[in-house]
Amino acid sequence: MVDTGLLDALAQGLVTGSIIAAGAIGLSLVYSIAEVPNFAHGDMITVGAYFALVVNRPDEIALLPGLPGGAVSLVLAGLFALVAASAFGALYELAIFRRFRSKEADLITMVIVSLGLALVLRNLVLFVAGSRNISYETPVVRDVNWDLYLTGSGLTVQRTQRQAGDIALLAEWGYPLWLLLGIVAAAGAVGYGVYRWRTTDEDFRTVHLVSPRVLGVLSGLATLLALVYALRFDPQGTDALWSTRIGTSYKDIAIVVVVAVAMFLLNLVLKATRLGKGMRATADNMDLAEVRGVDVDRIQLVVWVIAGLLTALAGVLAGWSASNVNPNMGFTLLLPVFAAVILGGIRSPYGAAAGAILIGISMDVGVYLLPSGLATYRTAIAFVVLIGVLLVKPDGLWGDV
Amino acid sequence: MALADFAVSLVTFVAIYGLFALGLNLKFGFTGLIDFGHVAYFMVGGYVTAVLTMPAQVTGYDGLGGYALPAMLAVVPGGDVLGWLLGVAGGMVAAALVSLLVGVPTLRLREDYLAITALGIATILNEVVRNEQWLFNGPFGIRTVHQPASAAFPLGLGSFTLNLVVFGGLSVLVLAYAGYRVGRYVKDIDGTGAGLGLASVAILGGAIGALTRGGSLLVVGVALAVVGVVVLREAVRRSLEPERTLALVVALAVAAWYFVQPLLAASNPTVTLQTNVMFLFDPVAGPNGGLDYDRFFMLLSLGFLAGGYLWCQRTINSPYGRVLRAVRDDEDVPRALGKETFRYKIQALLFGSALAGAAGSLYTIHLGFISPDQFGAMITFFAFSSVIIGGTANNAGVVLGTAVFWAINSGTQFLNDYFPSEYAVKLAAARLIFIGALLIVILYYRPEGILGEQDYDINLPGDGPAPSRDETAAAAGGDADD
Repeated sequence: MVDTGLLDALAQGLVTGSIIAAGAIGLSLVYSIAEVPNFAHGDMITVGAYFALVVNRPDEIALLPGLPGGAVSLVLAGLFALVAASAFGALYELAIFRRFRSKEADLITMVIVSLGLALVLRNLVLFVAGSRNISYETPVVRDVNWDLYLTGSGLTVQRTQRQAGDIALLAEWGYPLWLLLGIVAAAGAVGYGVYRWRTTDEDFRTVHLVSPRVLGVLSGLATLLALVYALRFDPQGTDALWSTRIGTSYKDIAIVVVVAVAMFLLNLVLKATRLGKGMRATADNMDLAEVRGVDVDRIQLVVWVIAGLLTALAGVLAGWSASNVNPNMGFTLLLPVFAAVILGGIRSPYGAAAGAILIGISMDVGVYLLPSGLATYRTAIAFVVLIGVLLVKPDGLWGDV
Repeated sequence: MALADFAVSLVTFVAIYGLFALGLNLKFGFTGLIDFGHVAYFMVGGYVTAVLTMPAQVTGYDGLGGYALPAMLAVVPGGDVLGWLLGVAGGMVAAALVSLLVGVPTLRLREDYLAITALGIATILNEVVRNEQWLFNGPFGIRTVHQPASAAFPLGLGSFTLNLVVFGGLSVLVLAYAGYRVGRYVKDIDGTGAGLGLASVAILGGAIGALTRGGSLLVVGVALAVVGVVVLREAVRRSLEPERTLALVVALAVAAWYFVQPLLAASNPTVTLQTNVMFLFDPVAGPNGGLDYDRFFMLLSLGFLAGGYLWCQRTINSPYGRVLRAVRDDEDVPRALGKETFRYKIQALLFGSALAGAAGSLYTIHLGFISPDQFGAMITFFAFSSVIIGGTANNAGVVLGTAVFWAINSGTQFLNDYFPSEYAVKLAAARLIFIGALLIVILYYRPEGILGEQDYDINLPGDGPAPSRDETAAAAGGDADD
């Protein structure tokens, strides 16, 4: 019998980390550019998740009339949520935060204003939709298990799935030991080569669209996956020295891919457009940016719109991943999201993304490593990591990226 | 239920949460620490006092303790209360110790980092209490909460008439004194403002009446409400001293609600009105009537609140308090003058948490049952709202803010009677929406709160009078101006 192990926890952590990242990047942008430590971010996530619910399951929300066209699929509902939440992001900025900024409110005031907004948002959701747990209307997604057996002669991979109570074998293949080593070595070489190739032309004027380190890791991973897929050989037996199981589903993969695409698009905006340059300048020094002709008000409005978009993304993905939307979901996410932002260094959305993956992985791996009675302390693990890092590096890990 | 019972329960709540908010004000208002985890010390105080005073063997409780301090001290006279007071002291010390454990690693962080870290730690402590059944019985909570001196109640003086005269007379004196203070405060109000204020109370009363009748009168009610608000706004705008006009309007509204409403609604108006006026005297408590436990507990909570208030006032109006405010305004200055600012921050954290612990002890008795659900992060946010509504860095303002907050939050619960019971959750949510919006509006239009920052009576060496509020506000960077 194959048990899930560290690799499964890592895969789970990647999914958790992706969801946290979707929340954390928006929070980090608002924090660094709009200068609001936004305690309402968690409840903005809840609101985003409920926007999708409004069109996905209109009959579940008592205070709203049913839609004329009936319910729509989760993808369309998610798109609707993105649009609605970005409009709400603009609303928060115009109705509340711009006014306070024009009065030169200090950081503490902004914290407490956002707290008031959080109170309003969460109870608005409670008022409109009630406190029940609701799940999105989606097709059922079945888990796919990847069982890995490491034997004396090589590695065997089995793809299995639970169908009608039994575990069915979908496919089976393997790699001889020498090939396995070769694949890993080739992937490492490609990754390192790409990294060296991109760093050689690095000087203070070049702005890499994707930083060499990230590109190196990504190309290495891509090579690994491509080789693993191309060079499938016969199974090497299941009489294993070591075996493990990774459970995934198309849901998990979709979540990771969606967040990765969103990150890349945001990266494109930040690095390749005039607007993004203005955003980065405002984050660095608002007064200096204003002197150099950046329309700070417009930049901040854009930031809130992007943050609204990302909160809806995080909300829909979190609600889909957990098959559960409720008024408290955002607040539960707020702590890991904040931990990720602070861990990554407050001024950097890239740091926030990296911090989010780190927090997500440490939560799931931590739960795997701890005794089973302590599994309820997932958020606590994120916080222990955060406090540990803050004690060593008070500005976060990548504070000056 | 007579309004007096509701008022007693409201005052008890205000006293308990006032003590809690005073602790927060010491941290946030005077020392500048944003402790979003304040509720953790409330929780620790409540649980520790409950466990210290609980009998040893309790069915349905699998946690630590049952140290039965009151039973142990029962041999000495007054040992019951003494043991309970020791339990409260234990709760306060435990809260302070926990805050020390939290504070030493986190207080060096930046203010926004501190806020989120404190929130996280409080959430984790709540999770620990919820999950670890060996600690405080986990999610099942504690039902056996010791009530000090509960055997002595209802307290009477022998005959019914004597009870009526003494307790009723005391109640009337309290009401008269409150009326006298309000009258003194609003004495200088100008005629126009007072007239318009009276008119607004009448119109708003009519609006509420029309709204509760429902049906087509809803439109009339809404229209009347709008007119009432406009008139009130006009009253405030025209008066030379808007605060006094507002105070008059609030006092009139409360008086109308307390004395007039039972005459209209109750089945036996005379009895209800009499109960309202003589709120300390409960005619059905015991054979001769007297002071029941709820009313005694209200007095006890008020005593604790007064003690905490005096303690805070003494601290703030001392050279020590001056250092705390200096730490808040600019930490580098006291450090340059040789003050170990970290120690002052830790001490403010300890004192504030101890006050929260005492509030937690009172809270457990008031409810008679505690479980981790009651100590969510929302309680901290309520306290922040109270502090900001009343006036940050103003102890009297904090108590006033707590009263305003809880009057809005639980005072509007009687609205539940007018709606079907399935809307109770929605009404609670609507109240909190209103409070959140109120918080934002107050921060925008009046960031210093109702009363503003208080004056301090510390005589600085070299000059005579203490600097006035305007000067200190200007020196602090002008946060208070709008």
